[in-house]
Amino acid sequence: MIDDETLDRQLREAVLYLDDDGFTGRVMASLPAAPREPRWLRTMIVLGLALLGSGVAYLLSGGARVVREGVVQMADFPIWLLLVFAFGCGLVVGAFAVIFAIRRTPEVRDLTRLEF
Amino acid sequence: MELTDADLIARVLADDDQHAFGELVRRHQSSVRGLLRQLTRTDVALADDLAQETFIRAYKNIRSFRGEARFSTWLYRIAYNCFREDARRRKELVGVDEAQWQAEQDPQTVDPGLRHDLMHALSLLPLHERSAIVLCCQNGLSHDEAARVLDIPLGTVKTNVLRGREKLKRTLAAWAPN
Repeated sequence: MIDDETLDRQLREAVLYLDDDGFTGRVMASLPAAPREPRWLRTMIVLGLALLGSGVAYLLSGGARVVREGVVQMADFPIWLLLVFAFGCGLVVGAFAVIFAIRRTPEVRDLTRLEF
Repeated sequence: MELTDADLIARVLADDDQHAFGELVRRHQSSVRGLLRQLTRTDVALADDLAQETFIRAYKNIRSFRGEARFSTWLYRIAYNCFREDARRRKELVGVDEAQWQAEQDPQTVDPGLRHDLMHALSLLPLHERSAIVLCCQNGLSHDEAARVLDIPLGTVKTNVLRGREKLKRTLAAWAPN
């Protein structure tokens, strides 16, 4: 029987270098177009719009008067209702966190076969 | 000075630099296409289509590459997943059955030349053994890296490599020095 060393050498030497032959060009032509503006600019635009929207909302609500009154009203709620509300908020935030984590972790995404 | 894979990946991440990604494709195209040719039993057109799909997926998901493994290992994993999905679609994921494998061992059908015989014998191995042999013995991945690429336990990789090697040695017995 052929020995291990010969087999290993033959296996390694059987790997040939494949010439590109336009392969890279075909891949590059198939890539989705890169965004024209830099990533930091998009981030700044989104952040700016969010701050602007928050400022407008603050002014229109009379200096967040609605929020202050809402908090005062919530203080009068029974404690069990607040607990249910907090638990519900926790569930929603937790669900979004799990979905985000799965999307960011390819190993888990492959394992669960989930499509997002 | 030549840029490393990590430098090129950083450029792709920072500026969506497609030229940097093109350099990564140029560097790894041979090994990825070679791997897929082995997996598809030398169906060159299919292997190249899958290799193209591999690099497109790599570009789209490059943010999920965290640098824990070599870039080539990450590419092999994507390539293997592309192959597996395609094979599932084509319902060809089953390896050559043992009877067919034995029939193909007929020395009359074997062409001269150890290299040629070796590649022929390799193509006849069941998929799980062929994949393990190609990754570990031809592409130099450790058993642990191959286990990650193939998404199977480490012990299974070792077993597949061992069994694959034994079958190859049996097939190539005629080439043993007297």
